[in-house]
Amino acid sequence: MPGSEWQVAPAGDRALLITLGRSIDPEMLGQVLALDQALQDRRPSGLVSTVPAYASLLCLFDPEVTDAARLEAGIRQLEGQVDASVPFGAVVDVPARYDGPDLADVALKTNLTPAGVVEAHAGREYLVYCVGFAPGFTYCGALPDQLAAPRLASPRLRVSAGSIGIAGRQTGIYAVESPGGWNLIGRTALRLFDPAADPPARFKPGDRLRFIPTS
Amino acid sequence: MIEVVEAGRRTTIQDRGRPGLERFGIPSGGAADWFAAAVANRIVGNRQDAALLECTAAGPTLRFDSDAVVAVTGGQSAGIANWQAVPISRGSSLAVGTIAPGLRTYIAVRGGIDVPFVLGSRSFSQRGAFGGGFGRPLAKGDGLAIGRMVELESIATPWPESHRLPARGPWEVRVIGGPQQDAFAADALQRLGATACRVTPEIDRMGLRLETPGLRLQPQEILTVPMTAGAIQVTPSGELIVLHVDHQSTGGYPVIATVISADLSLLAQARPGDTVRFRSIDQAEAARAGRRLTGWLELNH
Repeated sequence: MPGSEWQVAPAGDRALLITLGRSIDPEMLGQVLALDQALQDRRPSGLVSTVPAYASLLCLFDPEVTDAARLEAGIRQLEGQVDASVPFGAVVDVPARYDGPDLADVALKTNLTPAGVVEAHAGREYLVYCVGFAPGFTYCGALPDQLAAPRLASPRLRVSAGSIGIAGRQTGIYAVESPGGWNLIGRTALRLFDPAADPPARFKPGDRLRFIPTS
Repeated sequence: MIEVVEAGRRTTIQDRGRPGLERFGIPSGGAADWFAAAVANRIVGNRQDAALLECTAAGPTLRFDSDAVVAVTGGQSAGIANWQAVPISRGSSLAVGTIAPGLRTYIAVRGGIDVPFVLGSRSFSQRGAFGGGFGRPLAKGDGLAIGRMVELESIATPWPESHRLPARGPWEVRVIGGPQQDAFAADALQRLGATACRVTPEIDRMGLRLETPGLRLQPQEILTVPMTAGAIQVTPSGELIVLHVDHQSTGGYPVIATVISADLSLLAQARPGDTVRFRSIDQAEAARAGRRLTGWLELNH
């Protein structure tokens, strides 16, 4: 990773957060996933698990086996040596019913017709940058510029599982019922979170997907 | 079997949680006051991964259809002797009642509460509503089976007061600066440490919202990052949200400091209106704090 420098900071007494950059783009995500893979392969002593998101990687450790300084040294050994060419996943089709309660509002805000919103949203591939916030919630990007819309001024207390939302330059899918502030434009019948499945979440960072309009 | 006669305000089945699934958006969860839960299991001789009941603010009434040994720890219950093994005879009931001081009371039953594992744990997960036997908090009429998660004899004498955490605020909570300390002014953590923060009514297993009278932190924006339990997020309006065991796995508010794992137990007992002061320490002191509590659990009582 020429020119870049990892920032390693404690996240309490059981975790280190490695920040690789500050942008949302495929190359940055590729670096995060490559580091994640390298750490899973090498398993520095005391490393328990990792959590990737956008441009950072959280490394949770067992303080009875290692400490923050030793783990940081182990991670730093990989700096400049990580291959940033982890291939992204095959494109998965996500059936989408574009009947969300905010579809008309989004059309208004973006100077499009509802059909134009659907066409713009469904007409491209997205990369999964993060699975988080709530179980299975899938953050994807990048949304076309013309669809960028601010979050709702006041979040809904309940958004049902399968809801497809947009916020800023991202689109996302709610995997479980939760509160939420994204503009809801549709929903999918695809189950994104199942505690009985292995893995429990349908998507992971680095996966790719596209929305297929259904009626 | 144990019959739930009254459910209490919010009673859930918890164990040590399900660490390692954060990458799927699942927080580790488990008992919010992990230390009180561990003591309850130790008193009745349970394995440390046995499931128990976590009660909030007002506890349940339970009827036992067989002889049992229980231990009630954490926030104080008026209904039963706390921090000691109590025999319950067949056909009799246990009423936890109102909890004070403290907020969360743990009821361990010798043998543990036997419900199916979901993703490696018996804990109820608030986010996703799964686990804990029912995928929800306990309700009147639920039946709980007692398991066989026993490894030791129960302890005959009350748990020594010298080996318990403070029962009430003001709370001194130790933190390690970061991970987004650089999104704040250089003296921000020091100023936070000098502030008597106030617990608002918005508290649950996901997190606690705190006011900072006289202090308005103004962080820079950050990109969404993974979050841990104990993360002290600062919102654009300057309020604090301290994440707890059922925390969101990622978040976009910068984290000025993170509560050490030993002191998550203190925050689990904080009530609205309580004062919290954060004290910044280093990793070595955090490790000593953790070893002190595990040392108490390993003593021969």
